[in-house]
Amino acid sequence: MNFPKPSVGMLPNDRLDYSAITKRKPLKLPKGARMVVWTITNVEEWDPTQTMPRTVLTPPAGGSPMPDIPNWCWHEYGNRVGFWRLLQVYDDFKIPGVMNVNGSAVNAFPDIVQACVDRKWEFVGHGFTQRNMQKVENERADIRKSAEVLEKATGQRPRGWLGPGLTETWETPDILAEEGYDYVADWVLDDQPVWMKTRGKPILNIPYTQECNDVAMMLIQHHKASEFYERAMDQFEQIYKDAKGSARVMAISVHPYIMGAPHRAKYFRKIFEKIRKKRDVLFWTGSQIADWYMKVGPKPQ
Amino acid sequence: MHPRERLPYSPIEGRAPLRLPKGVRLVVWPVLALEEWDMGRPMARMVISPPQGQPMLPDHPNWSWHEYGMRVGFWRLRKVMQKLNINPTVTLNARVCETYPSVVKACIDSGWELNAHSYDQVPMHKLDDERAVIDKSMDIIEKFSGRRPRGWFGPGLTQTFDTLDYLSEAGVEYIGDWVLDDEPVTIETRHKPIVALPYNFEIHDIVMMALQHHPSDEWHGRAMDHFDVLYAESAERPKFMAVACHPYLSGVPHRIAHVERTFAEILSHDGVVAWDGSKILDWYLTEGRMRDAA
Repeated sequence: MNFPKPSVGMLPNDRLDYSAITKRKPLKLPKGARMVVWTITNVEEWDPTQTMPRTVLTPPAGGSPMPDIPNWCWHEYGNRVGFWRLLQVYDDFKIPGVMNVNGSAVNAFPDIVQACVDRKWEFVGHGFTQRNMQKVENERADIRKSAEVLEKATGQRPRGWLGPGLTETWETPDILAEEGYDYVADWVLDDQPVWMKTRGKPILNIPYTQECNDVAMMLIQHHKASEFYERAMDQFEQIYKDAKGSARVMAISVHPYIMGAPHRAKYFRKIFEKIRKKRDVLFWTGSQIADWYMKVGPKPQ
Repeated sequence: MHPRERLPYSPIEGRAPLRLPKGVRLVVWPVLALEEWDMGRPMARMVISPPQGQPMLPDHPNWSWHEYGMRVGFWRLRKVMQKLNINPTVTLNARVCETYPSVVKACIDSGWELNAHSYDQVPMHKLDDERAVIDKSMDIIEKFSGRRPRGWFGPGLTQTFDTLDYLSEAGVEYIGDWVLDDEPVTIETRHKPIVALPYNFEIHDIVMMALQHHPSDEWHGRAMDHFDVLYAESAERPKFMAVACHPYLSGVPHRIAHVERTFAEILSHDGVVAWDGSKILDWYLTEGRMRDAA
């Protein structure tokens, strides 16, 4: 079917053709590993003078009063307390960390950034603020500023990007490629990395998740905390099975204000108690996945 | 004031630990909220939406749902608290003193702390004169009980950028509205500083039951998961666990047993005590000052 084309940017299928995962040339990981798990922690700064990106408590009789101090505080807890609880899990299980971080959060929470620089985490651009990319005034400036602030704080320019709430305009991948990003994770459409066309050089998309993602599971679907563990294990076991013959990638994505709450943190820990010791499972960062795929995967068309 | 002007960001890691009295490692802070739902307004929460979803005034079904809490649920919760020797902080809309005096009297007779929760269950943003409502609420509760409340919760924890300044002027010493830490923190106001005690939206019956729709036994399940993690962490630094109950939610037959076994199990652990807000505040005013001076 033909859809009307946007005036700027591209339709998704103009960036990549449909492709059935079973019909591709097998992908091989080093040392006979079957699959890769990458774990992403999202650190956000919410502006108390704006509408909150998410809420846990609505005001009496509804509505969205401004300012929304209760829900702002809820997110702030994640950065004051929850993050450090999750970090302990990363440390205990030696998981290479990936942080999606708002540009403004880099300056707001220097202790968090420093702790992750010390641990050699990968930092991924995540918008300068936690605002829908379609509502950002100047998308390119936002994407560029996000990279600059990260480079300044960590010494390295981010190679990956995840839009706030995974939002994109028709043009986002084009701008990302032009601004020097190597990969994006907004497109949850495959279990393997895929190349996407842009108007310049191609950009890689790495499998991300709305399934093992605490925003979707806990805030939107309202599952109980233990379901985060249960679902992650179900997801893991199936991908592990599917990866016989050709490698696959599983993502786990958490936010300190959600998964860092005491009653949830224990289930985040439990996942790694279970899967970290598997010998044929690699725990990598997004950049490691990108480098591997660029080396062994099909070349972009 | 911008919240960060009142309280700069500070990670809990690296902060000098506070010390609780010998033998205590975790403090449970039970909070019982008593509200007035004015029939002339949309109801604060709803358990049932009308046919075709059209909002209606008056909203008898949801008003009655809340009223059940005051007629029946409160008394059920009170029995549980008394059985387990728990003195909760009662946060109440001041108007409850006028409409449900027998309920407030029962709280006073039990020796429970009264904490101000505005005049009725309307967000602070919607008040014409926030300062006047705060003063009035404090005065009514003081007059009814003989004691001026030391603490405050905003309806739905709502605040404007000025609320804390007015609260401080009115003599409020602590709030529960800021759910941003596991420890008490001192926040700036244009008047005297106020202490924000560690409250949360996790072990909170409105969030869990009315908004997220968990089954009743999750009241116990989530609270115990929460407790397990905090209890383990309390080996290194004191932890606080606020538990929020509303009579129309936690006081209903299918939930009350889960409420009771939760408190019973938590309080059976070594080093765990239940304190009201006033007691946590008194401890923090001494201990916090000593830590900050050190």
